[in-house]
Amino acid sequence: MNKRILIIDDEPQIRELLMRAFQSRGYAVTGVATGREACQSASEHPPDLIISDLQLNESDGLEVIDDLKRLLPEVPVMLVTGVLFDSEVVQALVGGKIAAYVEKTSPLKKVVEEARRLLGESIPQP
Amino acid sequence: MKTPLMTEPIEWRLKLAFGVIALILVGTSVTALRNISRSLTGSDWVNHTHAVILEGDAIRASLNAGESALRDHLLTSDPRSLADARVAYAEAAEHLELAKALTRNDPSGSQLLARVEPLAARRVDFAREGVRLRQLGDETAIRRLLTAQGGDTTMAEIKRELEELKRYEQALLQERDRQSYLQAQTTRWTVMAGVAINLGLLLFVAWLIRDDLRARRLAATALQKANDTLEAKVQERTRELTAANQALELENLERQWQYQAIEHQLRYNQLIINSMDDLVLVTTKILKITRLTPAVTHRLGFTAEEMVGQPLQRYLREGTGGTSIAAGLDRLIGALKEGRELQDCPGELLAKDTRPIPVRFRLIPLRDHDQVVGGVVSIHLSTSLPADNASPASPTP
Repeated sequence: MNKRILIIDDEPQIRELLMRAFQSRGYAVTGVATGREACQSASEHPPDLIISDLQLNESDGLEVIDDLKRLLPEVPVMLVTGVLFDSEVVQALVGGKIAAYVEKTSPLKKVVEEARRLLGESIPQP
Repeated sequence: MKTPLMTEPIEWRLKLAFGVIALILVGTSVTALRNISRSLTGSDWVNHTHAVILEGDAIRASLNAGESALRDHLLTSDPRSLADARVAYAEAAEHLELAKALTRNDPSGSQLLARVEPLAARRVDFAREGVRLRQLGDETAIRRLLTAQGGDTTMAEIKRELEELKRYEQALLQERDRQSYLQAQTTRWTVMAGVAINLGLLLFVAWLIRDDLRARRLAATALQKANDTLEAKVQERTRELTAANQALELENLERQWQYQAIEHQLRYNQLIINSMDDLVLVTTKILKITRLTPAVTHRLGFTAEEMVGQPLQRYLREGTGGTSIAAGLDRLIGALKEGRELQDCPGELLAKDTRPIPVRFRLIPLRDHDQVVGGVVSIHLSTSLPADNASPASPTP
């Protein structure tokens, strides 16, 4: 059975790109724009990995992650953010809330590789 | 261009072979039937010939019986003998008529019988004469007649003629028998030859068909093999195209991601710049305005479209109240050319309502790969007119 990924980003283009990138690699992907939708989707279809933006329209990315962690404590969370060297992000990393973060300026390939690593899959060698 | 004959040799060969088989079959059948018909005709003729021979024998037998009965009557006057003699002669005549009828279409046979008839008539005349003399009771004449009969060769001649007729008919029988045998042989050989040739042709046809079937099987196998090879190549190519397509798709996604990332960064950079209170203008090396922050338009009252492309000195002049604009301009241009910064320079902003605003500004060369491509003018509003001092780095005019 394919692994499931939940993507949280309020920008439709980013969300669509991430969904297509993971769907083309055989993952089952759900994309949402808000924290509320994320919690609802996670309850109905628990994901194997959560990928979230830090800055969301209706809520703060770290708060959404807190809610999701209460719901699914074992599911790893990866942050994809355009904000660099944010101290809160660093603290969250140190606190164990998020398993990894990737900058939005990084290649998409790196985002996918990091996701695969968190899902416990081997990365195909070139 | 190939004709249908050339494109399907097996077809016309089969047609030819079956055509020949049919012809031979028909020819053999016709020959056999004709010979059988001839045999039947010959059989009828044989029966006819035997009938002639039998009639000839019957004529002689009847005549002999008549002669014997007549002699007996002449010698004994026995009426029964006379009756027997009459019956015998009548039978002889009847057999002679039958023989004549049977040989009506045979000139040679008719000729032989024609010689017998007068001889038989002569014997009948003798018999009549004898009977008359017996009826008269003339014994002497009867003895004389019987003595004369001893030297009569009529019966011998009749016998001879009938023997010759019999030989003639038997010779015909032999000839017909020989011909019948030859016909039977011919029929047998014709049928055997026809059957043999047809069997040969059928074997040839079977070989042709088998050969053609084998060629078609080989062709079908080769075609199947070619199809399999083509199918494998098509599948391989499809896999390659699918992989290439997937790679292109991923590459496309990567480009779109990079574009989004750049656009995201640009947007945030613009947001940051727009939120700044600082008055910042970007100029060319000769101080034509190319970019500016929103704070500049807000402070001066001009729109960005009005200011972009205009000389800097239209909106900012160095010094205060009466300082030469041209001299300040040359200093700034000179500093950019030499790649020097100008720090904390006094100046005035010329707003739309023409009321000068005292400011202090800084000129920083804008470098791209170590080349000065323009300048950045950062302007701070000042509350009092400053002293006319330049940065330690800039030379006095």
